[in-house]
Amino acid sequence: MSFILTISLSIAAYSIAVLGTFMLTGMNGLFSLGQAAFMGLGAYVSAIMVVNYNLPFALAVLIAILVAMGLAVLVGFATLRIRQDFFALATFGFGQAVTGLMTEMVNVTGGAMGFSNIPRLTTPTLAFTSLAVAIFFVWGFRKSHFGKDSLAIRSNELAAKVEGIDVFKHKLTVFVLSAAFAAYAGVLMAFHTRYVEPAMYGWIASVTWIIIVFFGGRDSLTGTVLGSIILLAAPEALRFTTAWRTLIYCVLILVIINLRPRGLFGTWELSLRPILNLFKPKKHQEVQ
Amino acid sequence: MDKAVIVDMNHLTKMFGGLCAVNDFSGHVKENQIIGIIGPNGAGKTTILNMVSGICPPTSGEIIFKGKNLCGMEPHKVNQMGIARTFQNIRLFEDMTVLDTVMTAYSWRAPYNPIETLFSSPRVARFDREIKEKSMHWINRVGLTEQAHAVAKSLPYGMQRRVEIARALASEPLVLLLDEPGAGLNQTEVQGLVDLIQDLFSDLHLSIMLIDHRMEVIMQLCEWIYVQDFGKKIGQGTPEQVQKDPLVIKAYLGEDISNA
Amino acid sequence: MQVMVLLQQVINGLSLGAVYALIAVGYALVFNVLKFSNFAHGGVLGISAYAGYIVANQLHWPLIPVILVGILTGAVVAVLVELIAFRWIRLQKGQLVYFFVTSVTMLMALEQVLIIRFGASFESFPYTLLKVKVIHLGELTVSITYLLSLVLTIIAFSVLLYILKKTKIGIAIRAASNDLVATSLMGINVDQIIVATFIVSGLLGGLSGVLYGISASLSPQIGQIVIKGFIASVLGGLGSLKGVAIAAVALGVFEVFLVATIGSGLTPVVIFLLMVIFLLVRPQGFAGVSFTDKA
Repeated sequence: MSFILTISLSIAAYSIAVLGTFMLTGMNGLFSLGQAAFMGLGAYVSAIMVVNYNLPFALAVLIAILVAMGLAVLVGFATLRIRQDFFALATFGFGQAVTGLMTEMVNVTGGAMGFSNIPRLTTPTLAFTSLAVAIFFVWGFRKSHFGKDSLAIRSNELAAKVEGIDVFKHKLTVFVLSAAFAAYAGVLMAFHTRYVEPAMYGWIASVTWIIIVFFGGRDSLTGTVLGSIILLAAPEALRFTTAWRTLIYCVLILVIINLRPRGLFGTWELSLRPILNLFKPKKHQEVQ
Repeated sequence: MDKAVIVDMNHLTKMFGGLCAVNDFSGHVKENQIIGIIGPNGAGKTTILNMVSGICPPTSGEIIFKGKNLCGMEPHKVNQMGIARTFQNIRLFEDMTVLDTVMTAYSWRAPYNPIETLFSSPRVARFDREIKEKSMHWINRVGLTEQAHAVAKSLPYGMQRRVEIARALASEPLVLLLDEPGAGLNQTEVQGLVDLIQDLFSDLHLSIMLIDHRMEVIMQLCEWIYVQDFGKKIGQGTPEQVQKDPLVIKAYLGEDISNA
Repeated sequence: MQVMVLLQQVINGLSLGAVYALIAVGYALVFNVLKFSNFAHGGVLGISAYAGYIVANQLHWPLIPVILVGILTGAVVAVLVELIAFRWIRLQKGQLVYFFVTSVTMLMALEQVLIIRFGASFESFPYTLLKVKVIHLGELTVSITYLLSLVLTIIAFSVLLYILKKTKIGIAIRAASNDLVATSLMGINVDQIIVATFIVSGLLGGLSGVLYGISASLSPQIGQIVIKGFIASVLGGLGSLKGVAIAAVALGVFEVFLVATIGSGLTPVVIFLLMVIFLLVRPQGFAGVSFTDKA
């Protein structure tokens, strides 16, 4: 596989996790510092299922995603009713607990040495189709009443409650969906790089995704996808060490939040309408 | 002639720490009736509305609506049962147009789950179309047709109040709670609002609980009035009775007159 | 003999808890005024710990100046963090989420600075920093670093209490914790109060960083122990500094026992479960000051 293709595959996989963060943090203002742990869960569970138990890939993927969603329900149930700070804190603790368990359960996970010999099952077609479907899903989700509810809850939770929105259920739904996204991204990565280790899934990764969302603009799906591609591709092209790269991300986001808090793209969305309109007969355009 | 009681509040008490915000309040709203609660600041008026709308559950007492006790019920459940409200300090959503804001009141009725949004199923599109139509109806009703696609928070204060009322109406409630709807409005705007409430009341067969400290609003609209002072009910009656009650005059009206 | 081991563990736990208490109170101070979780506090204590490490290791300064350097660095870094990450958002009346993003970002940035400068490995303060290593109390052998943490924490809290109760700026900070807007209406300069809050919080953070570095370990990831402080403040109930301090000490003792019994790998798992259970049962914390939205 060529270098460019390898990198593109990783970017596609990570972008799916970023899309999960976009729904959770961007649209709903919930900060999960344990998103990467869900990615780790997806990666480890699916890899172990396939390598140790010879399960078919598709089934392993399904189990991995369900495990992540199940844990998200538990964590969310305990923490989403209270202040958002506590949710961030609890998810941080959750992330540490998960990576702790991965390191500790040496005979299942290989411990800190990592888990290797995963077959390469993530094909370019699978990765790019998955990303396309993920983008399409988030787009539809945002266009439906869930999108409006998210914005309503984010900007005035009490007002959302008294007009009948079950805020807790909404947050739980979004959290579980975002966990599923992260877990699926983890599966794609594991079967792409063929190796996983606990250190990949620390809180830094979770924060990086939050940074990407705020870089592109938390109110712009286009911004999030483009931001994700830019920020994930740049370090590969420029070949920084991880520490320098992370530091540059930090400086970038500090500058953006101070000068342009709504992100590079603000609320701008790429729209197919102008292109579609070109093909429409003239009189239909006049109606609007 | 006699109307049935729709919301029955019995011995409501709310303590915050050691402080008694509302002390043993009893009262009721009948079908198609406007009642008012008046009283100076800190009298516990908003707390009563907060208890009814589920925002802060009472320390003791009960609120009976449709044969059920609302105490301890979460706000969204109370709303879904048919009680909607507005806020004294307007609570609108950032960046949202008037139409979108009003549409969110229908969200909980959506018949589909998040997975269906992936396929953009016809049900999703149909629901969206339906609630857009219904929401526009309420927006027209409060007289904001021109502003339907403007960002709600960018509108003048008086219009923002109307957006909140439209949003509350979109819950299609039996009971409407209005928390100081006249606050921050000028004289003409207040009169417009009073007319609007009067219209809605007679057209929609609503029951309304109204809080205000402006006498003219309360006296024009309300059929029955409860007077609160320092968390305690000090009087009740028709507007004429209340205006003559010496206790009420001393606690509230007298103060107002001397200030004016 | 068992009793002695137990007692030894209690003292270890108390000293760790003391450091957590310093972190937790430093965090709670800022939280009470600005109402957001200042993750950057971890970065402050990390930089301070390394500042102490540099003067101890390269300039061979003795203990007291080393600690003072750490404390002062904490104050300076905290003020810089406020300027870089929070000031502009606050002046623009930005939403709380932005504070959150910048504070997490600052924690990460400061950690990366340490990794770039010192590498990702563990360091330790020079062996010669403390002349006496242990003292014997009967059969009990107590490491001097633990006693140091305990004593300095008690001193720091006494000074803090004095500042908050008796000085003009301390009273202003407490007023701002109650209601920042009202405080500003009373004609007090809000910028000054906030800088003062960050200074006090930074002094505590600097002290906690150096103490943790001397008595436990020193690595660029040191800033992440700020989470322990947060957990303690949540358990203690954010509004009450006393509740926060007590919860922090309890957490320290508990953690030392966990590490001794089930090992360091599973300890975070148990602490996480404990925190979740606690939040389910009593979300307002021990001291029970809850923050609710006002209608």
